[in-house]
Amino acid sequence: MWAPLQTDPGIWPTVARISVSANVLLLAVLGAIWARNYWQFRSKHTLGLLVFSILLLAENALALYYYMIDPMLAGWFATAVPAIAWRAMMLLHVLETVALLFLAWVTWD
Amino acid sequence: MEAVLWYVLTGTRGGPNRVRLLQAIDERPRNANQLAEALDLDYTTIRHHLDVLMDNGMVQKSGGDYGAVYLTTDQVEHHWETVETITERVE
Repeated sequence: MWAPLQTDPGIWPTVARISVSANVLLLAVLGAIWARNYWQFRSKHTLGLLVFSILLLAENALALYYYMIDPMLAGWFATAVPAIAWRAMMLLHVLETVALLFLAWVTWD
Repeated sequence: MEAVLWYVLTGTRGGPNRVRLLQAIDERPRNANQLAEALDLDYTTIRHHLDVLMDNGMVQKSGGDYGAVYLTTDQVEHHWETVETITERVE
C-alpha cells in the first residue's frame, strides 16, 4: 500500500537538508585532517579514515544535490515525497550527523 | 594498544605534535615546561597533549602536580616498535 501523497510534508524536509549540509561540512573537516595526516604518515590506518570520509562525503553531497539542486529530482523531493518517508529519511540523516559530531569531537583533539 | 596508538597519533588533528612529544619524553623524561621549550610549542598546548597521552595510557606523571615529570608507560614501551614505525614519518 502506498502512503497518501501529502502536499505539505512539514518541517521534515528542512531538517533533512540541514542535517545533510551539516554532514557535508563535518566530513570536509574530518577529511581535511585525515588527508593532512595521511600526507605525513602514509599509513594504511589514516588512508582508511580518509577513504571512509571521502565516500561518505560523496554520499551526502549527492543527497544534497538531489534534494536541492537537480531541477527534476529536487522538484520531486519537494512535492511528491510523503511526510512519513521524509521523517524516515530525516532520521537517517540526523543519526549520521550525531555520529559524525562524535567522530569530529574525538578527531579535532 | 596498537589501535589506540595509530588513532591517537595518526588519526587526530594533534597527532603529529603528540608523536614529537612522545619521542621527546622517551628520549628523556621532562616536565611540561621543558617539553614546551624543547618542542617550541605553547605551554597549554603541551598540557593538553600530555592529558590526551595520559588518558590513553601512553605517558604517566611522576612527582608533584606542579613541575611533575612525564615518562612513558610500560604499555607504550611494550609497543615501541609501532611508535617507531609512526615516528619515521615525522620530521
